[in-house]
Amino acid sequence: MQSRSHDVALRITDELTTAGIKLVASLPDNWISDLIRCVDADPRLHHVPVNREESAIGLCSGAYMGGMGSVALMGASGFMTVIYALTKINYTYEIPIFLMITLRGAWGDHHKHHVSNGLYLKPILDTLNLPTTIIENPDQIGMISKAYHHGKNYARPVVVALTRDLLK
Amino acid sequence: MKFLDCVSHIAERRSNQLVVTSAGNSAQAWWAATRDSSGTFYLEASMSLSTMFASGLALAQPQADVWAFMGDGAFCMNPGMLMVERDMNLPNLTHFLLSNRHYGATSNADLPNMAKNDYAAIARGMGLERVYSFDNLAALKAGFDEAVLRNKPGHSFVVLEVEPFDDAEQRLPQPPLDGPELKYRFGRHVEAAFHADIFGYQL
Repeated sequence: MQSRSHDVALRITDELTTAGIKLVASLPDNWISDLIRCVDADPRLHHVPVNREESAIGLCSGAYMGGMGSVALMGASGFMTVIYALTKINYTYEIPIFLMITLRGAWGDHHKHHVSNGLYLKPILDTLNLPTTIIENPDQIGMISKAYHHGKNYARPVVVALTRDLLK
Repeated sequence: MKFLDCVSHIAERRSNQLVVTSAGNSAQAWWAATRDSSGTFYLEASMSLSTMFASGLALAQPQADVWAFMGDGAFCMNPGMLMVERDMNLPNLTHFLLSNRHYGATSNADLPNMAKNDYAAIARGMGLERVYSFDNLAALKAGFDEAVLRNKPGHSFVVLEVEPFDDAEQRLPQPPLDGPELKYRFGRHVEAAFHADIFGYQL
């Protein structure tokens, strides 16, 4: 019998392919470890584990310019390191990029080392005018496709933030 | 080897390759040599992401041949990119590292450990197999086909030891293209050349 988190990971993986995404560039976060395993095992997706989150921004932006749909999958802390890359590549050139991140530091995250994300993640998303959808239960997984296609139309970054309640 | 001579020679050898440049001197040199405003993406000031950008492009368009330039200043910010490039091992991607041992885009400020960095050794240490290094134009001309040839078995990493720009070269113009204009010019070029669908609509 599959665990609930594995079932959610499979459903998210399916939704990525439904959206038309072919490339997943990832860095790990414990909350998305099941999801990364499901992505890696899915032959419909090309999974590229990258060395740092900024590399995912470069890789996905280049894939867009070649006509390939992609998602940069990372934890909240990793997201906090890519602000310059997003402003320089995706805002300057108006290249869409779809990011899925963990909503670290929010209610339910008992790790003290994510207090900084609790304090600053949402304000930074707001400061960058980054359209963000929070997905906190499996019934909302269909929002992934909507967010991805909104980003292509909007020609800038969009973010889906995944909560602990959804993933664990 | 003079920076401009090196880049001019590569430009002369180009046929239909898509090109991605990095910040500063490589964009200036490529613009001076080609004035290309459609088949080159001038990825300004990305702080090390030109070859990751090129990797995404090469993955998406496997029938395209993609050349990516990067200075060693950018390389030193993110050498782990080579781990990703090695994993992907895209045969249609060539990574040109323009090693002038300085941050060329910022008035030739010194790089850390500038004299001792051995970029080819770093690449081999990460498992790259097609690693080439040229420190003079004659050697580059002689070895170009082997390093950069189309239909090669895997990704190539080519170190080009060049002199930093002098004061007059630093004043060469940057490509005069705004970001969205460049996106559409380059994207439409890729769509036409490779029957790709990037923007979701045709004009």
